[in-house]
Amino acid sequence: MIDAVGAADRLAAAVTEATDAALASATAPPGPVFVGWVAATDAASCPARYRAQGEDGWGFPGWSPATAAGAIARAALDRHLDEAGGAALRAAGGPMPLPDPVEAVRDWMRSAAADARGVTGWVGERRSEGDGATLAAAAASAGRWLAGFVRVLGWPLPDRTTLLNVSRDDGGGAAKWWPRKGSAVSVGSGADARIGRVTGTGEHVLVVHRPSAGDDRDLHRRAAVEAAAGALAHRVAPAAVLLTAGDTGERSRVIVDEDLLQAGGAMIAEVVRQRVVAVDRAYDVADATPSPLCRWCDLRQECPPGTAWLSGDGHGGGRWRGGLPVLADD
Amino acid sequence: MRTVADQPARTLADVLADALPLVDRDRTHAPDEEDHDVAELRAGLDRAARAAAPTGGWSPDDPLRLTKATVTWLLRCPRRALTDSDVGVTDDLVIGVVVDAAAKLATLVPQRAPTVDAALAYLEATGDTTASVHLADRGTAAAGLLDDLARRVDAVAAAWPRIGPGWWPRVEDPARVRLAEGAIMLTGRLDLLLGGPPTDRPAVVVEVKGGRWYDGMRADGHLYALLVALRDGRAPHAVVTVVADGTTQVEPVRPAVLLTAAERVSHAIEVATSIAAGEPAATHPGAHCAHCPARPGCAPGRAWRASDDVAVTA
Repeated sequence: MIDAVGAADRLAAAVTEATDAALASATAPPGPVFVGWVAATDAASCPARYRAQGEDGWGFPGWSPATAAGAIARAALDRHLDEAGGAALRAAGGPMPLPDPVEAVRDWMRSAAADARGVTGWVGERRSEGDGATLAAAAASAGRWLAGFVRVLGWPLPDRTTLLNVSRDDGGGAAKWWPRKGSAVSVGSGADARIGRVTGTGEHVLVVHRPSAGDDRDLHRRAAVEAAAGALAHRVAPAAVLLTAGDTGERSRVIVDEDLLQAGGAMIAEVVRQRVVAVDRAYDVADATPSPLCRWCDLRQECPPGTAWLSGDGHGGGRWRGGLPVLADD
Repeated sequence: MRTVADQPARTLADVLADALPLVDRDRTHAPDEEDHDVAELRAGLDRAARAAAPTGGWSPDDPLRLTKATVTWLLRCPRRALTDSDVGVTDDLVIGVVVDAAAKLATLVPQRAPTVDAALAYLEATGDTTASVHLADRGTAAAGLLDDLARRVDAVAAAWPRIGPGWWPRVEDPARVRLAEGAIMLTGRLDLLLGGPPTDRPAVVVEVKGGRWYDGMRADGHLYALLVALRDGRAPHAVVTVVADGTTQVEPVRPAVLLTAAERVSHAIEVATSIAAGEPAATHPGAHCAHCPARPGCAPGRAWRASDDVAVTA
């Protein structure tokens, strides 16, 4: 087991130094830079594509049934644990009842006020507008998220599980870290839950739930960036990151060590560096990094390395998205 | 005393009523239990995938993704499996997505019967404007299509029971099985999944189809039953296909159903492997040629005429 506090301190120093150096080299301020797991994995997979996204791609796309799914589900499950857990305790240690996903989500939605912050306010506004279609779509996606989370983690949830990044009236939200006071750079943890308390011994585990699993490369990158973001925000490194996937039912436990933290810290610093580079140049063929992700990239028609990779003989060249060859006419 | 059904289940409501006595209140909610038969099916498919992946050139980073459409076409006409499935927006496609959305609304908002307008609004809320744009483009010419849609939505609504929250209804539930450590993926998105772990109720897979019933739809349901079994570690109780022509197909999931589905997947992997290794994709002309996007570039497909199938269909 690593020295959880010392490792977090060393990580914070390394990321601060790297972001300071990147910002000092900027020809103009890059503006606010929020580093979450999406930015970190994007910048790591293809810097050219990440920079080409521009402000629209870097920022939060706004609430929608898809983007609100996890936030609504966590809030609904948190309320269920509060209310049903309290009732179970009052019933002298009775079992915690399994939440009904869509019903739990709907219960939470009914209490959402339009003047609240974050996702609660968004749901409250939809309710006050009578936008039943959006609420039904949001209930579907959040119910699916909640069901997958509970199914994969098991019920009752592991002992000492705490939901994170939960929208409550009293604020809360994602744990964040800034390299310096007033810095334009902030790092947010995307962990959905924590198992165990955060103590100096670093025995807690961060849980990251993905409704759909990506490939193994995504999994290790996500684990690295969440381990680092969690260590920075809590000033204590977690013992492990547990990644769950709703579609496969898999749980992957990635042990946190110095190497993983450094890898995650490097991914965080790389986002800042790329945002500084983007002040002067967006897409640049020089650091386009071809991979299977090119098959889904919006730039694939105009990116020479990506085009060459997709049509080449090596790797998956000539392959279509599903792994089968491209059809040739008779 | 357990009641014995006088006749087989014919509707979704029948299936749910029949399944309730099978509730296992003693079952734990641990996520790692796997039925022995399901484990054997997984092992067999994994062996087939491990044997195929090196030849096919698939890896966890760049896998072969087998969807129900890919499996169907690799077996029915491999050449069609290599065609971009994006054939543009047609009336049939719009019927499919609207009827599907109506069924989801009937599940999510059981207190109101779904309508075409509500289904279109739901689709737009999910970011899918395909149907709305198509109908707007057709303008007044869409009147007939809208009438047809209303009839089909009504038919699905009539077949739809009120589904209690204890069934854990999940719409568009994604399911994926990694084979050969992810070099081959079996993937699907279930229209509706009821019960199954961690509930104490047996799982019921529900498929919604906007067109007319034909027997080939059964294979889609079987594949989804296999996906759910492999993901959840135990076989679902039944697959119910609700079709907008008024048909409801109820299929109890017996071991043979899963075995047949697994054999189809295994065979599809073999076909995909031979294609990936450079073998030409076989062409099997048939009624599907009429709607095939690859037909212009496919000599056997162009040569095929509906009358060719007379001997089969007569």
